[in-house]
Amino acid sequence: MIKTVFLLIVAYIAVLITLLLLPSMLPERKFTQYSDNELREAALSKGMKPIPKNYDEYLKVINNSSNKLTQEKVALGKKLYFDKSLSKNRDVSCSTCHMISKYKNTNEHILLKSLTADSNQTNCASCHIRDNSGTDRLSSAIGTAGTQNPYHLNSITVLNSSLAKYLTWSGEIHSVEEEAGKSIGSQYKMNMSPQEINKRLNSNPAYIKEFDNAFNQQNSSLQSKANFENTKTALGAYVRTLLTRGAYDRFLDGDNDAINAKAKKGLSNFINFGCKGCHAGMSVGGQFLKRFPLKNFISQNDLSFNFPFMLSDNGFPFDNVGGFLGKDDDHYFRVPILRNITKTSPYFHNGSVPKIREAVRIMGQNQLGINLSDSQIDEIVEFLKTLEGDVVDYSDGIKSNRKSL
Amino acid sequence: MKMLAIKILIIFMFISGILISDFFKIEWGNFRDISVIHIFTSIFITIVFIVPFVNRHTHKYIIIEKVKDNNGWLLGFLLFSITISGFYLFFIGNRGGDLFDIIAFNTHLYGSLLFTVSLLVHINKKLFTTSAMALFFLLGIYPAQLHSIEFTKLKTGQKENIYHIRDWTNSTKCKTCHSEIFNQWANSNHKNLAQANPYYMVLEGLAGEIEGDDFREWCMGCHNPSGLTTGLKKSGHSMNDNFLKDLIFEKDAKTLIDNFKKHGPTRLEEGVGCIACHRITKAESFGNASYTVELNNRKKYHFEDSYSEFGQYLGEKLINANPTVHKQSYSKKIYKKSSYCASCHDESSPITGKKIVSTFKEWEASSYNNPKNLKKHKDCIDCHMTYLKNGKFSPKSGRSTNGGEIKKDIKVHYFSGSNHFLSGLKSKENEDQTIQLLKTAAKLDVDIKDNKVYVGVKNVGAGHHLPTGVADFRELWLDITLKESSGKVIFSSGKLKDDGDLKEDARLFRKVFGDKNGIPVGLLFWKYEKLLSDTRIPAGKRRVEVYKINKKLSYPLTITVKLNFRIYPQWVTNAVKKMYPQLPSPPVVELEKIEKNFHK
Repeated sequence: MIKTVFLLIVAYIAVLITLLLLPSMLPERKFTQYSDNELREAALSKGMKPIPKNYDEYLKVINNSSNKLTQEKVALGKKLYFDKSLSKNRDVSCSTCHMISKYKNTNEHILLKSLTADSNQTNCASCHIRDNSGTDRLSSAIGTAGTQNPYHLNSITVLNSSLAKYLTWSGEIHSVEEEAGKSIGSQYKMNMSPQEINKRLNSNPAYIKEFDNAFNQQNSSLQSKANFENTKTALGAYVRTLLTRGAYDRFLDGDNDAINAKAKKGLSNFINFGCKGCHAGMSVGGQFLKRFPLKNFISQNDLSFNFPFMLSDNGFPFDNVGGFLGKDDDHYFRVPILRNITKTSPYFHNGSVPKIREAVRIMGQNQLGINLSDSQIDEIVEFLKTLEGDVVDYSDGIKSNRKSL
Repeated sequence: MKMLAIKILIIFMFISGILISDFFKIEWGNFRDISVIHIFTSIFITIVFIVPFVNRHTHKYIIIEKVKDNNGWLLGFLLFSITISGFYLFFIGNRGGDLFDIIAFNTHLYGSLLFTVSLLVHINKKLFTTSAMALFFLLGIYPAQLHSIEFTKLKTGQKENIYHIRDWTNSTKCKTCHSEIFNQWANSNHKNLAQANPYYMVLEGLAGEIEGDDFREWCMGCHNPSGLTTGLKKSGHSMNDNFLKDLIFEKDAKTLIDNFKKHGPTRLEEGVGCIACHRITKAESFGNASYTVELNNRKKYHFEDSYSEFGQYLGEKLINANPTVHKQSYSKKIYKKSSYCASCHDESSPITGKKIVSTFKEWEASSYNNPKNLKKHKDCIDCHMTYLKNGKFSPKSGRSTNGGEIKKDIKVHYFSGSNHFLSGLKSKENEDQTIQLLKTAAKLDVDIKDNKVYVGVKNVGAGHHLPTGVADFRELWLDITLKESSGKVIFSSGKLKDDGDLKEDARLFRKVFGDKNGIPVGLLFWKYEKLLSDTRIPAGKRRVEVYKINKKLSYPLTITVKLNFRIYPQWVTNAVKKMYPQLPSPPVVELEKIEKNFHK
């Protein structure tokens, strides 16, 4: 009898001590350590590629046969991109929701000017234009005349968007030209019909001339070339030049010091855990339509009593603001492009997750079925930071390259 | 046989308990492990073994065999007291100030000693003498007062100035036991230094735009150390869907508490939280965040860092049961010295090297800095963390911990200074403390001679210049109205224009910063290189402003002189309002007023 009591106590204490000392007793799991060159090789072999450094390389890896780039088209497209008159109330341009700097390397002092001028209140753009994120940094986009997006959809970055196979959250668009047209026409965005666009463009003699210049390959009829179709083409041409290169690209090119050790661990996590399976290619995403969430945890946000008992709540691992359920309401979403992702918060289709760490945790749990540890999340976020980049200047190459015509 | 088992269990509980008492100075790592073992095994043993045993034992000997044994009754009483006090010590704790805590602790310690002796007597009377001697011996080495446990290793900070978000945890954790101080701090200016301070957010944004984003590190070192050390390049701000979350008016740190409930310690608390001050281990008076904050290099209790609610609960109970080490981790002597506050409250421009904020230096040169005469010596906290009542300093007696010891002069965390406005948008109590403090600062006197008005302002209450801190952005001025015999106003100065700014004739006490070309810097205060004017009033000094009246005076004259204060000039507020349209304009606060009649 005493023996059993003794053994029970000893066992109890042993369990208690083990639990207390467990973290320090277990050996740290040894993950495969890649050398820098092995890591690069692994990444490149899985289809991860750097953004081209100059226009010659661009032509080698990117197929723009549908819209060949010329200096005139790109310049016209840029002008149209920042033009508010393409919206019904003349208040919204492409750059309103897809913010990028108009000028490179300026010291515009936008914030100082807006604070000290006699104008009314400023808006988020005064500070956030310098992000160069290609988004509006809002949870959901606001169109002409303050129109709210009916599904509370989050603006996707324009940067690197031309590399995607599918565009928009439901993945139904296949080219940036098509999307440009859809955005101009949508009543929630710029709300202009093709006829209205034609009218506005042709009332501006500068545009008539520029369109003529850019599209003089078309049959030289007397009809003005300043029309909706050519607007889409010009905008598309400009957007196709908006590719960004960052530390990650320099690493893939061969510079071992471009990214730090934590980011390298993050990259190997990205490859090994399976992230690269969907967020693939040079664009690190945008190439597939996948189901989200893949693994549905019942009421993980809300453990309140569930009656009648629901097997799955048809929702998301965050607030289902806006009620958008993907393509055909079937939870199919276009895989987002992760380049510059650390600049484009808030996250997911309805912008309801503000922090990148939380987004990574959700993706690990609901897409890969992995409960990522804090340090794994840190490493992945450190890697995602290396995907930030500056827009590459292809203008010299495009200017001198007349062969593409 | 059962008896022997019970005896062994009791001895085990006793030994594990005595090891963690002050008799043995065991090392912290072992201490916290044995605490947990003692607490949980004792609970287990008491419920599973002792209680049923005592039931059977007393039933057999009292009811059936009807044995009369006083010692037995004593044992029973002691066992009961020890059990009850033990449960009390875990679930409520031994925090230092509560009478019941102290009773429970002593009951448990001395009760268990007496119990062991009585148990030996109960078993075998011969053991009495030996055990009595052992007890006296043990009591003899018990120290008279509480001794401190030494910190073993002192580090000079880490190699890389990087912390993880969870290292900074969330100040809500402190709220459970330090609720009064938490509430004072939550509505104070110290909590609301980053995203809840619209003036700061605008200026950090400007600094980043004009000088480059790396420059923001200078600001963040004091205003957002948690953000800076966790890799943020700029201060963030919470959003409410598409709009800026309104934190200007938010009371009692609601968002912080909600974040903690939802995300535990993994959501970054930006700004200055509890441990941003209470884990500073070294501080120099130079300024620009000249302190060392060591978050991880301390003795941690078990379960203290737990992400789960139950784990946090256990952690709190363990701290409350033995709070000495907790107190030593967070309460250091340097916190009482002015040089500690100076590490943030003095400021130099990293670009020009000029001193922008020199509050500490002003205090150092004043008569309040008197290390030889401690009666006259006053540190920052003697004014800025002392309770004010009816316009006077009235040290409040209170506790800093719920159930802790009562202190005669509890250091309140309203952090009264001069910015009544931003804390006032959240709590009138906070604002009231600051306004009372402001009104202790100066005294006015006025005289009229030879067609001149002499107004004297004496800095009687402040331990530094008036104004101090961001003295280029504060407005402290004289508002004068001079009426002649008919009642007509013949002279005035220091009035506001229609647009809210002061008229040009106002006599302000302030600094005016100029850049290297002597042009006023405006909002870009870090460009300060040349001091264009300095009319501040040093501590204890009197400054006289002379106004010439170029009119024929018709006596008797009535003069009303007010010393007015506004926390920000209207043109600064106007700029900030462009970003934060819901921000109200700060009011003019009348600090002093005198009215005097003059006869020829």
